[in-house]
Amino acid sequence: MTKISINNLVKTFEASDQRDADGEIVAVDDIDLEIADGEFIVLVGPSGCGKSTTLRCIAGLDNATQGEIRFDGEIVNDSRPRDRDVAMVFQNYALYPHMTVEGNMGFGLKLSSTLSSAEIDARVTEAAETMGIDGLLTKKPGELSGGQQQRVALGRSIVREPGVFLMDEPLSNLDAKLRAEMRTEIQALQNDLGVTTIYVTHDQTEAMAMGDRIAVLDGGVLQQVDVPEQLYRNPVNEFVADFIGSPSINLLDVAVDGKRLTGPGGFTHEYTGHEVGDRSRVRLGIRPEDLAIDERGDELTVSVVEKMGNENFIYGHLGDREIVARTDASVRPDPGDTVGLSFTNEALYLFDAQSGRSLETKTDNVSATQTQF
Amino acid sequence: MHDELETEAIWRFAGYGFLLLVTMFMLIPIYWLLVASTLPESAIIASAGSGLPRLIPGTHLLENARALAARPDVDFYLSILNSVLIAVVYTGLALIFCSMAGFAFAKYDFRFKEPLFLGILATLIIPINLLVVPLFLLVSNIGLANSYWAVILPWAAYPIGIFFMRQSMQSIPDSLLEAARMDGASEFQLYYRVALPTMKSSMAALAVILFLFQWNLFLWPLVVLQQEKFTIPVAITKIMGQEQIAYDQLLIAAVLAIVPMFVVFLVLQRHFVRGILAGAVKE
Repeated sequence: MTKISINNLVKTFEASDQRDADGEIVAVDDIDLEIADGEFIVLVGPSGCGKSTTLRCIAGLDNATQGEIRFDGEIVNDSRPRDRDVAMVFQNYALYPHMTVEGNMGFGLKLSSTLSSAEIDARVTEAAETMGIDGLLTKKPGELSGGQQQRVALGRSIVREPGVFLMDEPLSNLDAKLRAEMRTEIQALQNDLGVTTIYVTHDQTEAMAMGDRIAVLDGGVLQQVDVPEQLYRNPVNEFVADFIGSPSINLLDVAVDGKRLTGPGGFTHEYTGHEVGDRSRVRLGIRPEDLAIDERGDELTVSVVEKMGNENFIYGHLGDREIVARTDASVRPDPGDTVGLSFTNEALYLFDAQSGRSLETKTDNVSATQTQF
Repeated sequence: MHDELETEAIWRFAGYGFLLLVTMFMLIPIYWLLVASTLPESAIIASAGSGLPRLIPGTHLLENARALAARPDVDFYLSILNSVLIAVVYTGLALIFCSMAGFAFAKYDFRFKEPLFLGILATLIIPINLLVVPLFLLVSNIGLANSYWAVILPWAAYPIGIFFMRQSMQSIPDSLLEAARMDGASEFQLYYRVALPTMKSSMAALAVILFLFQWNLFLWPLVVLQQEKFTIPVAITKIMGQEQIAYDQLLIAAVLAIVPMFVVFLVLQRHFVRGILAGAVKE
């Protein structure tokens, strides 16, 4: 069990295009992160945000350009992957095609432990039972389904009883149903074993569902590390607010005129209690589930209605901005209908129009004043 | 609808007919070689001279083989042993060198990698004939002239083989090697325990290429080897080299020269088809 500290981690790559002036791509830019012993932390962000590179630096597959990575206080920057006591699950599983499931799972132990082959067999069998693949031990990876391969890959990592699990988008090749199943299974497994786990994904739903804490990255920069609910309610900036939540938060450019916010498509809102300083423009955010639809109103022309069964997503345009509201299944306007929109003042997010920094995030302790527009 | 099917059937028939024709065109000379090796010399000459070649085997096979063995000037059967020994050792050694070099070129980054690789490829431009003299000086200075090693070593790192293995090894997913690194494999173990086993079919194909290359090598063995170490191609020219060509002996020698090559191909052939990488990773 391992506690991991990352200080000022920087990773740059030489640009493949040599004509580039400085010839460098900064994949990870000055990341600081403390990961507690036994914690399940998720690194999440769009592709190219540096999450996988960070993971590879922790694994020892890539060398950090600058900064320190410590396992239990000890700097591991220069130690090889095999000496770090970590196990990794790859997106494409990376099973050895010429070995049986048993061979795949026992390979690491054979190479790096002093266990006898009887002990290795016992460990492999035990791990296979945990993963429910004990019937497949003599099969080759090519004979297995995607879900089974995934279980073998997980089994291969737990059999070594490492101090850290690293998982690089392990579920992204599975279909939706299996993905949801494996999600809970990995969580249960991590709970049982209590091994520090770093999990990389681009899927914010997966991140929210699985992580004890979530680190949101963008452009190689760590945006925010927090528990899922805090990320959702109190994002530090517009990027985090936009990235977390599905469907995404509605964002509108609004002009500030005293206490009145004016936006596209004739949108106005009298705000109370929010400090926007001397800004003349801000970005207003409102979560889809905080938008109430009034079928008698006429602010929004409905373009699409997605009926999910238990709820409906109602899409329409305010000026050039697309708006989505998440409503009860009983609210079911037809495309082309006009509906009214309303939301409570405390559901409001405000962001600086230039930097995207949060000025105001969702609060619960403000009185519930309904605002009409 | 019916017409379409009919046209398709005719085209298919014509296609297969064409393929069959080409196959026969390729196989008939080999078949005639097999037939002729069973005929006495007079019948061979008669068959070759008059219109259609004879296509029914005769009964003179063993006599021809005995006559070949009885030749005082060339020990052809010894040359088969020489050729097999040289080709087998060469193939084994060259497989090791080519796969190692190919692995390094495909999966590692190092300084001057591209120029080095281009340099290796560039050596293909130089014909063997041009190399014979300097190579002979080199080999005889080392003291290897008239030894098996003189034929085995010069092309042990065969440029085509290195190129072939590099291309094949590039298909090994990086994550497979990384997984092995995480499992604690050393760099040599990556090559030996992960890369090589997944490359079985490529190695088999390369083995055929290398074996064939060495089996057919003529000029260099002719220069560097003496009588008792002759390989098959050299020995065959000795059979032809006398004032009178013994066609019966020559043809049985040609048949015997094909057999080992044929066996090698049969043994390794099933590996070509087998995609051993299937199921390694999900793309």
